[in-house]
Amino acid sequence: MRASSLQLARLARLGCLALGASACSWSRFEDVTQDSPVVLFERPSYMNDGFGVSLSTATNQGQSEVLVGGTTNISAAALYDIGDEDSPGTTAIDRYCAGDDQACFLSSLTAGFANATGPDHSRPLCFAVGTGTVSGGPIKSGLVVRCQDTTEYALGMPRAAQDLLAIAIAQNKPHDHPLATDRADEPVLLASLPDEQLAWFYPAQSTQFSELVLPDGAQKNDPSFGRSLAVLAVDGGRVLALGVPGKSQVYLWKTDGSANSSYIGCLGGSDGVGRALAAGRVDRDGNDDLLVSDASTVRVIDGAVLFQLPPTASTECSFSFLPPGASLGSFGCGSTSSLTGCEESEFGAALAVADLDGDGDGEVIVGAPKMTVRDHQNAGALLIYDAESSSDAALVDAKFISSAEDGDELGRSIVTPHLAKRDIIAAGAPGNGKAALFYCSALLPHGAAGSRCP
Amino acid sequence: MFSAVSSGFLSRRGVLVLLLLALLAALATGALAQTKDSSGKRLEAIRAEMDKGQGLYLAGNYAGAAEVFEAGYAAYPYSAFLFNAGVCYQKQNDFDRALAKFNEYVKVDPNAPDLDKVKQRISSLEAAKAAAVAAAPVGDAGVAADAGAPAPVSVPSGDEQNSMKSLVVIETEPDGAPFRVYQRLDPNAQRFTLGPTSANPGWKEVVAARAPANLTLDVGQYHVVVERFRDFNESEAEMAVTAGHVHQLKANLSQGQFMAFLRVTSNVLGAHVWIDDKKKTRPLWGDTPHGELVPGGKHEVLVEAPGFEPFLSSVELEHGEQKQLEVHMVRVNYGVLRIDASAPEVKIRIDEQLKGVWKSGSEPFDVRFDSGNHKLTIEGEGRKTFEGTIVVPRGQILPLHAQMIPKYPRGPAWSQAIIGAAFLGAAIYAGSESNRMYDQLQHDRESGNLESSDSRATRGKWFAIGADAGFVLAGVLGGLSTYNFIKDPLPESSVKPGKLLEFDDPMKARPVALRAPPSPSLPNAIAAERAPRFELTPSATSTGGGLLLGGRF
Repeated sequence: MRASSLQLARLARLGCLALGASACSWSRFEDVTQDSPVVLFERPSYMNDGFGVSLSTATNQGQSEVLVGGTTNISAAALYDIGDEDSPGTTAIDRYCAGDDQACFLSSLTAGFANATGPDHSRPLCFAVGTGTVSGGPIKSGLVVRCQDTTEYALGMPRAAQDLLAIAIAQNKPHDHPLATDRADEPVLLASLPDEQLAWFYPAQSTQFSELVLPDGAQKNDPSFGRSLAVLAVDGGRVLALGVPGKSQVYLWKTDGSANSSYIGCLGGSDGVGRALAAGRVDRDGNDDLLVSDASTVRVIDGAVLFQLPPTASTECSFSFLPPGASLGSFGCGSTSSLTGCEESEFGAALAVADLDGDGDGEVIVGAPKMTVRDHQNAGALLIYDAESSSDAALVDAKFISSAEDGDELGRSIVTPHLAKRDIIAAGAPGNGKAALFYCSALLPHGAAGSRCP
Repeated sequence: MFSAVSSGFLSRRGVLVLLLLALLAALATGALAQTKDSSGKRLEAIRAEMDKGQGLYLAGNYAGAAEVFEAGYAAYPYSAFLFNAGVCYQKQNDFDRALAKFNEYVKVDPNAPDLDKVKQRISSLEAAKAAAVAAAPVGDAGVAADAGAPAPVSVPSGDEQNSMKSLVVIETEPDGAPFRVYQRLDPNAQRFTLGPTSANPGWKEVVAARAPANLTLDVGQYHVVVERFRDFNESEAEMAVTAGHVHQLKANLSQGQFMAFLRVTSNVLGAHVWIDDKKKTRPLWGDTPHGELVPGGKHEVLVEAPGFEPFLSSVELEHGEQKQLEVHMVRVNYGVLRIDASAPEVKIRIDEQLKGVWKSGSEPFDVRFDSGNHKLTIEGEGRKTFEGTIVVPRGQILPLHAQMIPKYPRGPAWSQAIIGAAFLGAAIYAGSESNRMYDQLQHDRESGNLESSDSRATRGKWFAIGADAGFVLAGVLGGLSTYNFIKDPLPESSVKPGKLLEFDDPMKARPVALRAPPSPSLPNAIAAERAPRFELTPSATSTGGGLLLGGRF
């Protein structure tokens, strides 16, 4: 079939040459779209609401999966196996919170595990998707984790959260539970309950939660409490970051891997700080670094430096307490010929770090879901910055969907699945129910990234 | 035959009579001119017959010459024709017919001056005939071995040309004067002198008759003497008779001189001749070939013919001299194209210049132009334009009928061309759109943003297919259109030339003009066939003046 199509194409080209028109071969369109650098996930029929609101990824032994979530609390999530090369599966292989027999409330932020420690043993490729009830395991309700082998179990939560969940299940009035993990093989799971201004974490290889405690005087009474989360894997432990964008604050804790944690400070001082948080290896020190966005800027803060901060009781939120060298850079919104409208773009609505070119350090990926793409309002885009430069000129690439439409809002959610040698980008465009994989980057050397990239 | 009235003093009645007579004279003069004109034509016809026979004879076509002479005699019964026919038969050794002609000659002209010679010739021919019969070989069956070809015998004849006779017409003014004709027998004889004491050795009187008279004479030098007649003195003239010709000699006794004879011929039959009338204020003298007696002296001869350059020359004539002026006329260096066409209306251009418009139902369009090659263009509404090179003749009219062929309808070709162009334009647009989209997609692919289900790929593909289809259709329609533009089963417009015509001759539209002076009378044989005529001649004597009225009935 493919051969006959090519023969037809050659004949068409010959005919076009004979006619003096070099452009009339239609088969070239098939060629150009073959193995395209952007792949859209097929939206399953059970996800009619907000496909792409949230994304999470997990990688284990070269196999990566992406969980695409819908509207918080009311929708489901679909799982896709994208493999380890450039031939992803675009059809969902599993579904979470799909309205089966068990109650399940999808979180606005889901989290992936390379390996998740369940009630009995560790399982690969699991995702914490929200709260609800499960049929198996010792705990029947709590944070729901589902693994590749379709095992589901629940993690216990603090009493207030557990009570609230019970009420929610009973009254079908769910509460959001944003979640986050790091990318370690045995990650730490961070969870929050904004409605109760609660936050807790599950140490690696543990199903027991540990609450995060703020110092007295902390102004945590805000519904945006815990809307953004990040877990940084650093030598010696983890740094836990919790954003309160409504108050332009980011609270920081560190933990040495046990259930103990200590508060190390609060970032703030500019409008909207904590709009989004992300963790990843921006520099080459082997530790995750923290990405913090505010209304117009994205900052990169060295994770290792944060982990070295001593415990404190200060409730003052600023960047000034950070030691010199903590900031790895900051970025503002940038436009290209195809992308305009930075001011209203919601630059920094989502953040991610990825080693797109496989060189060992990471690039910062910033979502701008309200950006105008080729005159398509709110189509959204992803702006990629080289963190090794701290100037705005470090915008090295911009990603969007070539078939962008008004209101796509690409960049509302971003994750960076890991392939064999490099990371790629997965981004959600919930405005029109899209989620896409971006395989190529301008940072990639020519011919180094398979058939999808030049 | 003639009556005359003379009056010294004129009363009233006399004046009336005079006016009546003048009117009669005018009518009579017209009739006389007509008579004279027809006589002149008759004599010219006789001369033409004689010249034609003589020409054939000299060319060795004796049979043809004999036919001409026989026909000439049948039309104009002059004995010279008989004699010459006999000579032609003799040249063919047709003794019987030769003898028949010579015998008839002796019979019809018993007073011929060469009667004895002719009789001797008859005798010689009879002897030759008998010798020929005797000498013919006889075969076994008693039949001549070559019955179709008589044996050659010695025929008693002289020089071939000299053996022909000529017709000589001698006239006097007035008629009736006695004359004598002397023939120089001795080539070395002295010039003939007139007088009672002149013996004129070497000269022999061969004819004595009264004018007008027509004579059949041998070739030779003659001297004609018109004797004293009434109150007129003698007059004389030399005359050289050439073989097979018609000579005319007329003596104007009042002047005491013979008139000269001038004949004008040209390569154009019917060319108009004026004598001593360059401005053509008088009626023309005649149409070529035309000969007529004219007074001796210098004359200006103007010859014109439509389509030819006028010819003007001076001729000096001695009294009694006979001269022929051969005019070679040259055609004018322009011609006329006479054009009509098979179309309601055509425009005619010559050498790219519009010359006029011809419309159906009107007379053919005449265009005068320099002779030679010219580019002729004929255009008609809805007709194929004719373009070609035409040769304008010199001094002639070339009728041209233009066959204007309707233009082959190009509606389908235009429709196909327009639709094809539309398809081509659409194909170019679709192709460029396809290109644009492909470039965008390619750019997006290179920048890593291309999504496989991008709708531009589908649209670009359809644009490309549309462009292909458009190009194919445009090509097909373009080919069809080209074919239908080129295709033309109808022939091209053409021009059919007609037979060359001579220019219209305005002289032919002229009334027969009165001639002055009145024509002299013709020889007897011709005069006998003329219509009755009147003459009114002014007369003056020492005792008074008057008019002489004469007529023939």
